[in-house]
Amino acid sequence: MKKVVALVLTLALLLAACSALAEKTQLTLWSIAVDSDANTPAYEKAIDDFNRFTNVVSGDDAGYEVVMEATQNEDYKTKIKAAMSAGEGLPDIFFTWSMSFLGDFVEAGRVLCLDDAIAPYMSELSDTMLANTTYDGKHYGVPMTMNVVTLFANLDLLKKAGWDKAPENFDELVKCCDDLVAAGIVPFGVAGKEAWCLSEYTEPLLVKTIGADGLKACYTGEADWNQEGVIKAMTIFTDFIQKNYFDPNASALGNEEVKQNFLAGKTAFYQNGSWNCGEVAAKGENFVAIPFPVIDETKSSLYQFVGGPNDTLAVTATAKDPEAAAKIAVLFGRIISREGNLIGSGLPAWAVNYKTNTVNRVSKSVAEMVAKSDGMVLFGDNFLSADAANTYLEFITQLFAGDITAEEFAQGLDAELK
Amino acid sequence: MSTISETKQVGRARTAGNKITPSKVLIYFILILWALICLFPVYWMLTFSLKDNAEIFGANVIGLPNNWLWSNYTEALKTGRMDLYFLNSFIVAVATILITLIASAMATYAMTRLVWKGRETMNKFFMLGLTIPIHAAIVPLYVVLGKTHLLNSYTALVIPYSAFSLAMGILICTGFMGDIPYDLDEAAFLDGCGVWGIFGRVIVPLMVPAVATVGIYTFLQCWNELMFATIFNSKEAYKTLPVGVQGLFGQYQTKWGPVGAALTIATVPTLLVYVFLSKRIQDSFIAGAVKG
Amino acid sequence: MKKTLGYKVNIFLFLLPALFLFVAVLIAPIAMSFYYSLQNWNGLKTPEFIGFQNYVELFTSGSIKFTWALKNALLLALFSTIIQLPFALWLALKLAKGIRGERAFLSIYFMPVLISTVVIGQLWLKIYNPDYGVLNVALRALGLESWCQIWLGDRKIALGAAFVPILWQYVGYHMLLMYAGVKGVPPELREAGMLDGCTDGQLNRYIVIPYIKPILRVSVIFAVTGSLKSFDLIYVLTNGGPVHATEVPSTLMISLLFKRNRYGMGSTIAVMLILLCFFFAIVINAVFRKEKVV
Repeated sequence: MKKVVALVLTLALLLAACSALAEKTQLTLWSIAVDSDANTPAYEKAIDDFNRFTNVVSGDDAGYEVVMEATQNEDYKTKIKAAMSAGEGLPDIFFTWSMSFLGDFVEAGRVLCLDDAIAPYMSELSDTMLANTTYDGKHYGVPMTMNVVTLFANLDLLKKAGWDKAPENFDELVKCCDDLVAAGIVPFGVAGKEAWCLSEYTEPLLVKTIGADGLKACYTGEADWNQEGVIKAMTIFTDFIQKNYFDPNASALGNEEVKQNFLAGKTAFYQNGSWNCGEVAAKGENFVAIPFPVIDETKSSLYQFVGGPNDTLAVTATAKDPEAAAKIAVLFGRIISREGNLIGSGLPAWAVNYKTNTVNRVSKSVAEMVAKSDGMVLFGDNFLSADAANTYLEFITQLFAGDITAEEFAQGLDAELK
Repeated sequence: MSTISETKQVGRARTAGNKITPSKVLIYFILILWALICLFPVYWMLTFSLKDNAEIFGANVIGLPNNWLWSNYTEALKTGRMDLYFLNSFIVAVATILITLIASAMATYAMTRLVWKGRETMNKFFMLGLTIPIHAAIVPLYVVLGKTHLLNSYTALVIPYSAFSLAMGILICTGFMGDIPYDLDEAAFLDGCGVWGIFGRVIVPLMVPAVATVGIYTFLQCWNELMFATIFNSKEAYKTLPVGVQGLFGQYQTKWGPVGAALTIATVPTLLVYVFLSKRIQDSFIAGAVKG
Repeated sequence: MKKTLGYKVNIFLFLLPALFLFVAVLIAPIAMSFYYSLQNWNGLKTPEFIGFQNYVELFTSGSIKFTWALKNALLLALFSTIIQLPFALWLALKLAKGIRGERAFLSIYFMPVLISTVVIGQLWLKIYNPDYGVLNVALRALGLESWCQIWLGDRKIALGAAFVPILWQYVGYHMLLMYAGVKGVPPELREAGMLDGCTDGQLNRYIVIPYIKPILRVSVIFAVTGSLKSFDLIYVLTNGGPVHATEVPSTLMISLLFKRNRYGMGSTIAVMLILLCFFFAIVINAVFRKEKVV
C-alpha cells in the first residue's frame, strides 16, 4: 500500500508542476530491455504503472508519457556511444552502466545532474549505492539493481563426489574440486569465448586474496598490479586450469551454453552474476548460492564481493523537460529496483520497504550475504575505462589460454595500463 | 556482352567419349563429392530447422526430422521478427538497386557517348571503387551519419551500399552501352533530340538487359552485407536479415531449431530465385568480373 | 554532333549523381579516415593531434595484435591462391570440357556464393560444435574419436577451421569466372592444338590457361584483396578468438572502434587496409604483365 501511495503522490506532484500542458509530453527511454532480457518485466511494469496512473490521476491527456526503445546489449553500447558522440538524436532518459561508461558521457557534458531529483529519496539510497554514479560529488545516475558475482553450486553433483555439504573454506573447495574431477564431473562451467565470464572467476579470487579495497586500488592505479597478492591469486587460477577444474570445451563455449550446462547438471559450480538467481532457484532445492571462500584472511573476509550497483538510469542534458525527466528517471529507478528484486533478476539498489516473501530462495540468500558485506568492488570491465577494460580482459584471456604466467599477467597489466 | 555471346556460340568444344576409364571415374567422384559438400550445409539447415533439440543433439543428427516441428518457424517469425528483417532487407535492396542503376547508367552515358576531355580519367577514377575496401569509410560515415541523424534509418544503408555498388554498375553498363549502335544516337539527334532525349528514348530502353545484371549483382551485395548493417542500424525496426539472424543467434544459443528456421527463411528466397534464374545470375557475376 | 552534345553542363549533370555518391561516400571518408588516424580520439572528447603515433603503436603495442592479424589475413590470401584458385581452375577445366551434368554441377558449385555469409557462418558454427556438431558426430560414428576437436576453440586449429568455410564458399565464384573464360577460348585454337596432337593436359596448359590469363589475374586480385578485407565469416565464427588466434585486420578494427572507443586507431587500420589492397592490386597486375612479356 505504501508504495502505491508514494507513487501516486509523486505523480500528483509531477502533474501539478505541469498541469498547464494540454497534451502529453512524450519522453523517450532507451534501454537494453529486449524480450530476452531478465529485467524486461521490471521495465514494463514501471512504464505501465506510470503511463496508466498518469491517466487516472489527471483524467485527461495532460502529463507525460514514457515510450521505451529497447536495443540488445552489445548493439546498445554502439548505439548510445554514437548518439552521445554526435550529441544529437539522444533520448530523454537512458540506461547506462555505472563508473567509466557513464563517466565518459558526464565528462563530455551530455548528462544532467540529478542532485535535486534524488534529494527527496536520500533515505532510501545509501552512499554505497550512489557511489558508482557520483562524479565530483554530484549524482548523475539513478541506480536500479545491483549485482554481485555469485558462486552457484549443484549439491546433487557434489554428493556424487562424496560431498554432503558445500565446501566452506578454500582448502575444502580445492579438495572438493579434486574429488569432482576424480568422479568425472567438471567442477566449474566457464565461457572461454566471452572474456567477462573469465573475469567472473579471476576477480573473486583477487578479492579473496588482496581484499576488495586492494583490488580497487589496482583499478585506480593507486596500487601496482605487480604485487604478491595478485600473483598468488592468479597462480591459483592457473592451477585450477591445469588441474582441469574448468570445462575442457570452455574455449568454444558462450555464456548461455555454459549456464544451460550448469542448469542441466553437467557442471558442479557456475560462478556468474547474481542476476541468474531466479533461473538457478527455479531448478530446485539442490541448487544453491555460496560465498567464495577466503584465501588470505588478513586482507579479506567471507562476505567481500565483486559487484555493486551497475545498472543505472540517467537523463540527457538535452532532455525535453529536464526537471520532469529527472523526476521520472528517479521514480523508474525505484520501481525497477523493486520489481527486479521481486522477480529475481537482480538485487535491489534501493532500500527494501515492501514485502519480499515472493522473492526466490537463492536471491534471498545472496541478499543476506550481501547485507553482511564489509567490502565490495565493481566488476573490472565496468570500473576501468573502455580501452583499459579491454586490455585488462585481454590479459585475463591470455592467462586462461596459458599464454602468460601469473607473473607476466601482473607485470603486463602495469606496463599497459599506466 | 561479348563474353556471354561467346559462351553461347562456342558450345561443346569436344564431345566426351563414351569409354569409362578409371581417371574419368575419379573425376566424377571428385565432382560429385564436391557437389555434396556444397549441398550438405543447406540440406542440414533445412532438416534441423524442423527438429527439436533432442533430435538435433543426438537422436537424429543428419536424417530427416522424425517429427516435423513447424513451430520453429512460427517462433522465428514471431519472437525472432524474421518477417520484419526480411521486409527491411527488401526495401534496402530495392532502393539501392534503383539508385545504383540510375546513377551508373547516367554516368556511363556521360563517359561513353558524350565526347569530352578527361572522360577516360573519370572512368578510371570510378574504377578505384572496385578495390577500395568497404571498411575505409566506416568511421567517417558513422560520424557523419550520426551528426545528420541518419543512423538507424534505411538511408544509412542505402546511400553507402549504392556508392559501393557504383563502380561495378558503371563497369557493367559500359559493356552493355558499348553494344548499342551509335547510329541510333545520330538518328535520334537528327529527329531533334537533345542529350537527355537520346538518353531517355534511345539508351534507357535498350539498357533493359543491363538492369537485370546490375540489379542481381547489387542485390546480392546488399542482401548479404553485414558490417555496415551491424554498425549503422542498431534499432530493431531497421535491422536487415544478416544482422537479425546474427542477433537471433545470441538469444537462442542453445535452441538450434528456431535458429535453423530463421536461417532457412533468410536463404530460401534467394535460392528459389536462383533455381529459376541461375544462368542470368551467373552471367551477371561473369559480366562484372571479366571486364575488370 | 560533337559540339552540341558536348555541353559541359549536361555532362556534369549526367555525372552528378554518381560523382556525388562516389565522392561523398568513398573519397571524402578516406581523406577523413586518414585525418582521424592522426588523432587520439575516443569519439566524445575533442580529438588530439598526435601525428603518426597511432601507426607506431599499431605495430609495437602488445595488446593490439595488428601484425598478428595481418599475418592471418596474408595467410588466408596465400591459401586462397594456392588451394582455392587451383581447385576452382581444375573444376572449371573439367566442367568446360562438356561433361554430363555440366550445368547442374556449375549451378550447385556456385550456390554457396549466393547464401548470406551470416547464414554460412551460423551453419559452420553448428557443424563445428564440439558436442553436437556434425563433424565430431561423424568422426565419433566412424570410430575416429581421437580426431574430434574443439574446432573453433582450440587455438592451434581455429585459424585453419575458420579458413575452410571462407575458401569453400568462394570456390564456386572463381570457378564460374574461369569456366566462362575457358568457354571463351576460340574453337580454332583448340582444334589447332588437337591437330598438333596435344593431350588434354597439354591443351589446357599451353592453350587454355594462357588464354584465360586476364581472368586468372582478376581472380587472384579478388582472392588477395578479399582475404585482406575478410570480415563477415570470421566475425560470425570466432570474432577473432580464441585469444586472437583468428584475428584479422577488420575484426580488430571493429573491436578497437566499438569496444575500446579508439576511433583514431580504428581509422589507422582502415587506412592501412586501403594501402595494402592497392599495393597488392598493383603488384599482382605487375606480375601478370611481366609474365606476358616472357
